[in-house]
Amino acid sequence: MNQFAVIGLGRFGSSIARALSEKNFEVLAIDRDEERVKELEGIVSQAIVMDVTDEKGLKELGIVDFDTAIVSIGENIEDSILVTLILKELGVKQVVVKAHNELHSKILQKVGADRIVFPEREMGERLAESLASPKIFDFIELSSEYGIIEMVAPKKFNDKTLSQLKLREKFSISVIAIKRKVPYTKPDGSPDFKEEIIIGPGGADELTPGDILVLLGRYKDLEKIEKL
Amino acid sequence: MNGKFEDLLELSEFYILSQKFEEAVKVLKKAEKINKKDSRLYYNFGIVYEALNEKDKAINFFRAALSLDPDFKAAQEHLKRLIEE
Repeated sequence: MNQFAVIGLGRFGSSIARALSEKNFEVLAIDRDEERVKELEGIVSQAIVMDVTDEKGLKELGIVDFDTAIVSIGENIEDSILVTLILKELGVKQVVVKAHNELHSKILQKVGADRIVFPEREMGERLAESLASPKIFDFIELSSEYGIIEMVAPKKFNDKTLSQLKLREKFSISVIAIKRKVPYTKPDGSPDFKEEIIIGPGGADELTPGDILVLLGRYKDLEKIEKL
Repeated sequence: MNGKFEDLLELSEFYILSQKFEEAVKVLKKAEKINKKDSRLYYNFGIVYEALNEKDKAINFFRAALSLDPDFKAAQEHLKRLIEE
């Protein structure tokens, strides 16, 4: 059976440790912060408080016997590099490391990391994929949590004003702009339209069929709107 | 018969102007039963679907309009814009 060591129990590390335990894998969780370790006690097979850069300590724990070590040290890039180096020197087969930026990732490669992940970036990509529907025209990632999307307004929104929709109250989403195709009659009598952009629309602005909304918010909230 | 077709076409234009696109589609479908050979009919269909952001449908209708009247300038412009988008 696969055994995993998770070093660094921030948000990423602890959620991985939990997920692996739920799948009934043996998980050793290590962090120097007692609080974080306590939270995983009883959930993972073993949760230990120790200085993660303590080579001797790691060796005594028998870390070499683990198939995979996941290094998810958030705040300190130096520690993350050091731990990766120690694990590889001790002979851990597979070392997966969370990277913060390209430079960090390059150094990790040099010290022998087997796999480098960018959880924030990967989350953004996954989100972009989940948002890849014909209703979404554009997507801008602002941070790991916030983004801007341009989408066709759900049918339910037709003929409602922004203050009736209460997007800010219900979803914490701001409407940055409305793109609207405004029909008119050409001199020859045939219909046509011109595109109008309402920047910073107000509560009294009413949505019409075919409107495109430019929305800013948390990804999880934006996904809710998309599913309406 | 043709008078009715013109009326329906005009009605569809009224609906388009008032942004009642679903109603516009209904009357255009009625009009299509009377006359399938009028490029303006397909142009109006195209406008409705373009306004509703249903790009693929809009493209097909502008193409249909142009197959009946290759010199239909407005249809050419809309088609070009949609394809380039």
